[in-house]
Parts: sequence; C-alpha cells; structure tokens
Amino acid sequence: MSKGRRWVVPLGWLALLLVATFGMGQLEGVFRWIEADSRQVIYARADFVTLLGRHLLVVSVAAVLAILLGVGAAIAATRDWGRDFLPLVSQLASIGQTFPPVAVLALAVPVLGFGTLPIIVALLLYGLLPIVRNTLAGLEGIDPGVMEAARGMGMSGGQILRQVELPLAAPVILAGIRTSVTINIATAAIGATVGASNLGDPIISGIVNGNTAYVVQGALLIGLLAVSVDSLFSRLPLAGSR
Amino acid sequence: MIDLIHVTKRFGDAVAVDDISLSVARGELCVLVGTSGCGKSTTLRMINRLIEHSEGEIHIDDQQIRAFREETLRRRMGYAIQSTGLFPHWTVARNIGLVPRLLKWPKAKVQARVEELMALLGLAMEAFAGKYPHQLSGGQAQRVGVARALAADPDILLMDEPFGALDPITRQSLQDELRELQSRLHKTIVFVTHDMDEALRLADHLVVMHQGRIVQQGRPLALLREPADGFVESLLGGEDRGLKEAALLPVSQRMLPLGPRLLARERIGQHASLREALSVMLWRHAERLTVVDDDDLPVGELSLRRLVGVRSDE
Repeated sequence: MSKGRRWVVPLGWLALLLVATFGMGQLEGVFRWIEADSRQVIYARADFVTLLGRHLLVVSVAAVLAILLGVGAAIAATRDWGRDFLPLVSQLASIGQTFPPVAVLALAVPVLGFGTLPIIVALLLYGLLPIVRNTLAGLEGIDPGVMEAARGMGMSGGQILRQVELPLAAPVILAGIRTSVTINIATAAIGATVGASNLGDPIISGIVNGNTAYVVQGALLIGLLAVSVDSLFSRLPLAGSR
Repeated sequence: MIDLIHVTKRFGDAVAVDDISLSVARGELCVLVGTSGCGKSTTLRMINRLIEHSEGEIHIDDQQIRAFREETLRRRMGYAIQSTGLFPHWTVARNIGLVPRLLKWPKAKVQARVEELMALLGLAMEAFAGKYPHQLSGGQAQRVGVARALAADPDILLMDEPFGALDPITRQSLQDELRELQSRLHKTIVFVTHDMDEALRLADHLVVMHQGRIVQQGRPLALLREPADGFVESLLGGEDRGLKEAALLPVSQRMLPLGPRLLARERIGQHASLREALSVMLWRHAERLTVVDDDDLPVGELSLRRLVGVRSDE
C-alpha cells in the first residue's frame, strides 16, 4: 500500500459520517417509510452536528484521561519501585471493566449530578482495562536481553523507558487504546440517560417515544463514527506489525 | 585493573558467589569457566553492578565500584551478552553509536567512530549500517554486539558467553577475531563461558569456578598440566587433555632447524598448533612435516617424536 492510499479507507468512512451528519434531513423520505405513523421522523431537538461534536468531546476527554491514567499506572507498576503494585493495578483495571457503565452512572449521578461528568467517569473506568492490560503486556513482552543490554550499556531508567521500552511497546499500547476508544464511542450513548446530550439522545428519545426512525439515526451515526475512528487507528504507522 | 577482594553474593539464603578473590591485570583476557550455576555470570555482573555484591570489595583502577554512579561505571565498560541485546527498532549504526551518544559525543565523532568500528569488525558500511538486527545472521549480530561494546573505547570489556549461541564454525572465527582484536587493542577483558575449548583458546588467565567458589586459577597451560582436583581435571577433558594442551602450543616451539635431509612433502605453518600438526600427520600418514613461514618458505621440520615431546630426536 503506497503512502497516499493507506488513508483512502478511513477518509472514505469519515466522508460518509459527515454526509450522514449534515444530510440526515435529506433522507426524510426513507425514514418516513420506516416510521409512517409519526408526525416527525427526523430528530430535531438538537442538530446532529452538535450531537456529534458533544459525543466526540466526551469520548476524547475520557480517552485522554484513560490513556494518562492507564499508561501511567502500567509504567509505574513495571518499575523496580512499583513492582509490588503490579497485581493490584491489573486487578483494579479488570474490576473497572466488569463493572457495568450503567451501574457506574447510577452511582455517579448522586455524587456528580446530571450531565457530562458522570458519563466521562463511567467511560474512563470502562476504557481503562484495555489500555492498562496492553501497556503491561507491551512492556513485559520486551526481550529480557534487550533490557539487560540497555542497563549494562549504562542507560538511565528514564532513557530506557523513552528510547527502548515505549517505542518497542508502542504497537501493543496503541492496540489497547484503539479497543478502548472504539468501545467507548458505543458506550457513550448511555450518557443520554443522565442528561449528557450526545448521539445517544435520538436513540433514547426514540425508544421512549416509540420512534424507530430516531433510533436508527442515532445508531447509524454512532456506528459510522466508531468505524471511522477504528479505521483511522488501523492506519497509524505504529499500529499492527512493525 | 579489576580486583575482587573476598566478594560474596547471596540471594536470600542461597550463596551464589562465595568469598572469591580475583585480580585481572591491565590488558589481560581473563576467562571465567565452569558449569551452569557456578556463579561465573553473577561474578561478571557484579563488576558492572547489574548485580550488587553482598560482601567484600570490588575495585576498578583501585577505586571502589560503589564510588561511581551506576550509569557512569557501566559507560566505562563494554558489555556483550549471548543474546546480543541489540535494540530491534534501531539500525545497526544507531545500535553501535549508543554509548557514545549517551556520553554526549558530538554527532560527527559518533558517526566517525561507528564507521571505524564497523570496519574493525568486518561489517561493510554500505551493506550493514542501515540494516535492522532481525536482518542479520547470528554471527553478524554478535559482531554488532561486540562493536557496540567497544564503541566508547572502554578500557574494560565484559563478555557473558557472547559466542555461546553460534554454530561451531562462526564461533571459532569470532574467537580468532577476538584474539586478533585483543592483540591490537589490549583491553582488559573478563569473559564468561562454559566451553572449555573456548576458554583455553582465549584465556591469558583462566579461572575455574564451581559452586560459587574459585577452584583454581592461573595460566591455561599451568591448569592443564597441574589441575588442582578431579573437578578441574574432568572439566579440562580428562583423557583429551593431551590434545587440549597441543592445541595451545605452536609448532614453532617444537620444530627443529632444517637438517641435511630432504624436505618432507607435507607442510605446516609455523603458527599452527601442535594439534593441527598431529592431525596432518594422522591424515597424511606422515612422520615428518616441513614447517613453513607465512610466505610458504621452509624454516624447519617437525617429527612425530618431537611433536609428542620426546627430548632427543633420533
């Protein structure tokens, strides 16, 4: 695959996402056919561009926090001074994933109130495991001979981390981030139940009002967004095999 | 240059290295040899503080190694290991330039040094500089490993079974090259191996270790001739000792000046070992060999009786 052509597929999905976001109104005929009984068939309480923007914002903030926290914790747990915490860190991350995001929302709302904050917390916890697990696997998977040589040559701990460990673990770490972000794009939709307005709104609203057209519109955009982002990740130079 | 004084290393209750004392003189190639788990690698790794010793003192140039920062100490010593430990995401040239860059040499100087070392180890610049470690054969990777260890021109070189994973032919040619390099560079080398032939071939000073202790140390020939106990004797090959000794002695030591007799048909170089000479005799069914110099000119002769050490020749 040549340099220019590798981006064709992700850009294609991205274009489709934008077309769907801006041109949803044009598809009124299709949705009228799906949902013949309703007075209104295009979700109109907020425009789709705004919803998409908010959806992306929530997922991005949660992803940045999860990356900082997850990669940071995994690095700390693989240092000499942090080895004792290794089992604890991987267990905490597992618990974060087994705990359903809906339950996190239910617990977070009384403390953090309605809105965007509880969903960011839920996504952060839910997205932590793939990042922590992959960062640990990436760092632990480095050839012990390479690590011994790095130390034996007189590299400091920081130099080994920056010049050897992180570059070698990068593909695996990136795969974890990709999983985390992709599942969180889908999971973010439940934020609509606690008043975080995003692409989950049309879905929840459609379910509540029995309007299938709304549900389809929300699901279509979330699906396209997830595929676009996943496809972008797959084209990053570090992802996949070196 | 390197002095270990009553050094002990414990891992928990287990004693890995037990009260050893060892001096390596400047420019000497010291080989630590012994079976697996005898503490030879642990001893080596205590010198660059990859492992901290529990008791005793280790000195480099009469200074305690604990007086240095770990990184400073290690950058003064080359380190080569069996698995090479080359960084897989770096090119050969970048791998070799590692320590000079850590020492903040100017870029041009690093580049010049990398080129010099690649030439020294027979790695063609155009062919190898841009290659990645996974594109190299075992022998080439090990050469790069040795080049990297030599990069900052350290006085001391620590080598932990560097040729252990190579096929016998590559191993022997690298051993010969190491000897050759050493005769030019005069580094102080501590070399760990479990292969007695390798140890005998390389060592100026041979140290036999067993169960964390030094059983015997000295010049290879001295150990061959007078092993301290049964263990050293068996490690030295028991019945094969005669051949091992012959492998250490050059033909020139036993040859006689050319006599009035006709030259023998079979020839042997004067730098070849007695073992090689014996092999030629066995193979060619010859009792006498003509010894030739580097230009293939006869300089002496060697008879079977002389070779096996009978004093008077006929």
